[in-house]
Amino acid sequence: MAFLKSFARNKGAVVGVVVLALVFVVAALADVIFPGTPWDMVAAPFMPPGEMDMLLGSDSLGRDVAAGIAHGARISLLVGAVSTVVALALGVSLGALAGYVGGVVDDLVMRFTEFFQTIPSFVLAILLVAIFTPTISSVVFAIAVVSWPPVARVVRAEFLSLRSREFVQAAEVLGKSRLSIVVGDILPNALSPIIVLSSLMVANAILLESALSFLGLGDPNLMTWGFLIGSGRSVIRLAWWMSVFPGVAIFLTVLALNLVGEGLSDALNPRLAGRRT
Amino acid sequence: MSISRRGLMAATAAAAGMGPTLMRVEDALAQGIQPRRGGTLTTILQPEPPVLQIGVNNQGPTLIAAGKIFQGLVKFSPTLEPLPELAESWTISPDALTYTFKLRNNVKFHDGTPMTADDVIFSIMKFHMEVAPRARAIFQRIDKAEAPDPHTVVLTLKAPFEPFLLMFDVTACAIVPKHLFDGQDYRTAPAVQRPIGTGPFRFAEWQRGNFIRLERFADYWKPGQPYLDAIIYRIVPDSQSRRLALETGQVLMTAAGDIEPFDTPALRARPNLEVLTTGWEYFSPLSWIETNHRVAPLGDVRVRQAISRAIDRNFIAQRLWFNIGKPATNPVASTTKFHDPSARIAGFDPRAAMQLLDAAGLRPNAQGVRATIKHLVLPYGEVWTRLAEYLRQSLRQVGIQLELESTDAGSWARRIGAWEYETSINFVYQFGDPTLGVERTYVSSNIQRVTFTNTGGYSNPRVDQLFAAARDGQTAEQRRVAFSEVQKILVEEVPQIWLMEMAFPTIHDKRVQNAVRLGTGVHASYDDVFLTA
Amino acid sequence: MDPAKLPGFLAQRLVKAAIVVLAIVVCNFFLIHAAPGDPASVIAGQSGAADERFLQQLRTQFGLDQPLHVQLWIYVKGVLTLDLGFSHRQQMPVSTLIMDRLPATLLLTGAAFAFAITLGITLGTLAARRVGTWADSVITVLALTFYATPLFWVGLMLVLFFSVWLEWLPSFGMMSVGANLAGLALVLDVAKHLLLPALTLGLFYMAVYARLTRATMLEVADQDFVKTARAKGVPEGQVVRRHVLRNALLPVITFAGIQAGQLIGGSILVETVFAWPGIGRLAFEALLARDYPVLMGVFFATSVMVVLFNLLTDLLYAVVDPRVEVA
Repeated sequence: MAFLKSFARNKGAVVGVVVLALVFVVAALADVIFPGTPWDMVAAPFMPPGEMDMLLGSDSLGRDVAAGIAHGARISLLVGAVSTVVALALGVSLGALAGYVGGVVDDLVMRFTEFFQTIPSFVLAILLVAIFTPTISSVVFAIAVVSWPPVARVVRAEFLSLRSREFVQAAEVLGKSRLSIVVGDILPNALSPIIVLSSLMVANAILLESALSFLGLGDPNLMTWGFLIGSGRSVIRLAWWMSVFPGVAIFLTVLALNLVGEGLSDALNPRLAGRRT
Repeated sequence: MSISRRGLMAATAAAAGMGPTLMRVEDALAQGIQPRRGGTLTTILQPEPPVLQIGVNNQGPTLIAAGKIFQGLVKFSPTLEPLPELAESWTISPDALTYTFKLRNNVKFHDGTPMTADDVIFSIMKFHMEVAPRARAIFQRIDKAEAPDPHTVVLTLKAPFEPFLLMFDVTACAIVPKHLFDGQDYRTAPAVQRPIGTGPFRFAEWQRGNFIRLERFADYWKPGQPYLDAIIYRIVPDSQSRRLALETGQVLMTAAGDIEPFDTPALRARPNLEVLTTGWEYFSPLSWIETNHRVAPLGDVRVRQAISRAIDRNFIAQRLWFNIGKPATNPVASTTKFHDPSARIAGFDPRAAMQLLDAAGLRPNAQGVRATIKHLVLPYGEVWTRLAEYLRQSLRQVGIQLELESTDAGSWARRIGAWEYETSINFVYQFGDPTLGVERTYVSSNIQRVTFTNTGGYSNPRVDQLFAAARDGQTAEQRRVAFSEVQKILVEEVPQIWLMEMAFPTIHDKRVQNAVRLGTGVHASYDDVFLTA
Repeated sequence: MDPAKLPGFLAQRLVKAAIVVLAIVVCNFFLIHAAPGDPASVIAGQSGAADERFLQQLRTQFGLDQPLHVQLWIYVKGVLTLDLGFSHRQQMPVSTLIMDRLPATLLLTGAAFAFAITLGITLGTLAARRVGTWADSVITVLALTFYATPLFWVGLMLVLFFSVWLEWLPSFGMMSVGANLAGLALVLDVAKHLLLPALTLGLFYMAVYARLTRATMLEVADQDFVKTARAKGVPEGQVVRRHVLRNALLPVITFAGIQAGQLIGGSILVETVFAWPGIGRLAFEALLARDYPVLMGVFFATSVMVVLFNLLTDLLYAVVDPRVEVA
């Protein structure tokens, strides 16, 4: 497989995959490594890393930071993945519509997209979460709403250039329905930028979730990395480990996703591959 | 100083010489600290107040900063004895109906006009009556207000009301200049933007989001005072930045909720800083788990008792508030008048809690869950979120699953006011007297769709009766009997699940003298505060 | 572009922009009013005591007792005449509040943007020219690091390092209050306060621009006209400057235009961490206090800023690449 070979040539991408795999394993095994809920107060508060069996220290109520990170990995990944899927669904359908149909529809969709890009997205996300009260679904929804416009733009551009290609015209001549042309012929050819974009969107969603939690707009029933940093921020000088480790977790995951994204981009655009180290 | 509440009571100006006020100055003098004139006190105000006109806005930050600009007729010692401020003396008639205030005759507003009885009567009968709901509820009891001469105010009540004087602190009834408000919409009058009072400091500058600057009022009625040239309130929204500002000397003092409780131990350890938790006696905020009795199973007294017994208040006081404040024992804080130490809620006992839940018919399901209750997290800062998390874990131990809902200040106030909650946290000022600050939460006549009323919907005719008796009681003793009985009933029925008698740390550089001397602490006028070199 | 076409182009763009802004105004109005809670209940809730009459007075005074479409109509009419309404909470016209805070935000985002774009393009160019060397690797890793780190986290770390440990820079605020500085001293004072927040906000975008510049430069360097220039013996430095960089900048500029709105979003976080008195924080506080007029005003102001910025990038586009016809 040329794709895999090309991907594996990119050292960064391989590192990214390994880190991501690690994060997945920790998330999957959270219940085994740290049984019970991460909210349990199992130690004295503010224990530095290493003391009282707390690998990464304890927080202000004596909860295990390591357990929080492991359990939080699930939610952070879930928020990243689900919001990206929702954003992709929105962005791809709108972008495809605009790019394939063109004309007035294109104009309308692009104005709509522009509209969303003009509103400062983080402000909009805050507003949406505040309106629907902070729960996991409102956070996911808000993140999706602010992250679809780039997808729509990319997909539209791809569709615009692919629409006039011979294979599409051939399909049209054969009398295929529009829907099956869009889904069956054009979309597969437009996939590579979408895939690259989505890895970055997951990364951005994780960052966005942590920023919302930082401002106190996260779901209070769920342990997420953003929550950990948010609750550690105010005691950063008393217990640096409370915000450093979740911060590192976010950093590593987002970095890994970016590296994978770049690897994918190189592997899917062979013209540029080999130029990277 | 002790004033019998019945008979001819004459708290005269001479009383000022005996109050804690002067004694503290004497303490300072004894240590060889002479008040020094000059210098600027830089401190913090958080959150930024919308306006600095007391009455139009009565939030904590407004009261703290505007307490330097405005003054009341009296002020209160830490034991809640009234001390002269704009009134140099007052007498109360034997039938407890007529209050005669003798005003100082050298008081000027910041625009140069002298303050007279007209301003006082306008402030009480028109201004606060119109804009401030709390004042309105009390001042409606005034039958007539007269000024026999420009420096005497006589207020006649419709019926005796023992806690009446407590309403004349600056935080409850600031004296405003009549000539700048009369005939206008009080809320939009220009003076609201440039507040004019009689206090030792005048409003100078306000850069929104940045700082508020007050400067010495040259014509202040106390000769030679205030000592400070200016007070600057910096607006710093982040708690860590506030702590840092204090540590690096960028500000000399913090108050109220500026510093998170968990930061205080480290600040206490600093040799140049002093941490005080006094100065909240007049307000005596009490926190509790607000329960909505309309939502099953919270209407069941056994369930509320169980929740109360499942909570370790000592843990909360030590681990969450780092011993700033102390566990609550009953609905009246121990620093409020008429607190009855013999009425105590039952202590921490999870086993007893589970028995109560069994008795209430709440049996655990396969996951050990007896009931799921929603909890609206109080959006006032970090420590309240931690409290909600602690409550969730403790209640889970006895089989109650607390589902947290986070919200912002806007939604919180609306939802509590609209009864759209199951449980939440609330804390409420008691204003020195249970009639002023406690009754409102428990009497059925105050079940309203507004925050800080009896939003839980608790109703007990006997409790209503006792609060009424205490409100109308002419002597302190009559009132004490009623308040004691009502406290005994309430600790059994736990209509709200009291948690902490709260206090807030005032932390200041040791160069700042007299930061907290009254029962209102940092809300005082600060005409006696000075900086040593 | 033909200078004669400029007025027509501008007019067309302005009309388009105005429509977008108007749509945003209407949309925001409904979004904000969909939020539970109203300013009256917040004020009542925070003033410690209230009664029904007090609430009713406030609602009448704020105009909240009017039907929604009437409120909308009043608001839109106001906006059309540049009257953004009145904040009853702060007892001030919204435009005054915003104009008070706007300079601080413009300074912060402007400084952050200038920093990000200069350093980003420089580093990106450097990396692209030295592709495959250690310099490229260092720059790439650096850019990725800042790209992957939460903004507020960087802010906290910078404060910890420069304010707490080294005690070099102030940790919050925009100027030393009460120092009565003027002239150069004031400028230096503000600059000192500006450094950390601008750095925090700028580092992330620096990373974005560096990555983008590197990528597009590599792409452009492959194209025929560059090869031709090299074949003709044009000196390498000139090839990079005149041909590669110039064309590589186009996507960077477009992206920067799109990102103008994000910069303002990011400034909410930075303004919170550093107590910077800008409109980001104003908006966040207004949201928590349900101060509708202020919130809508900030949305309006930021949208106008973004639209203007996009317009500017379009014009810049025409300058950088004369081949691009702006239609």
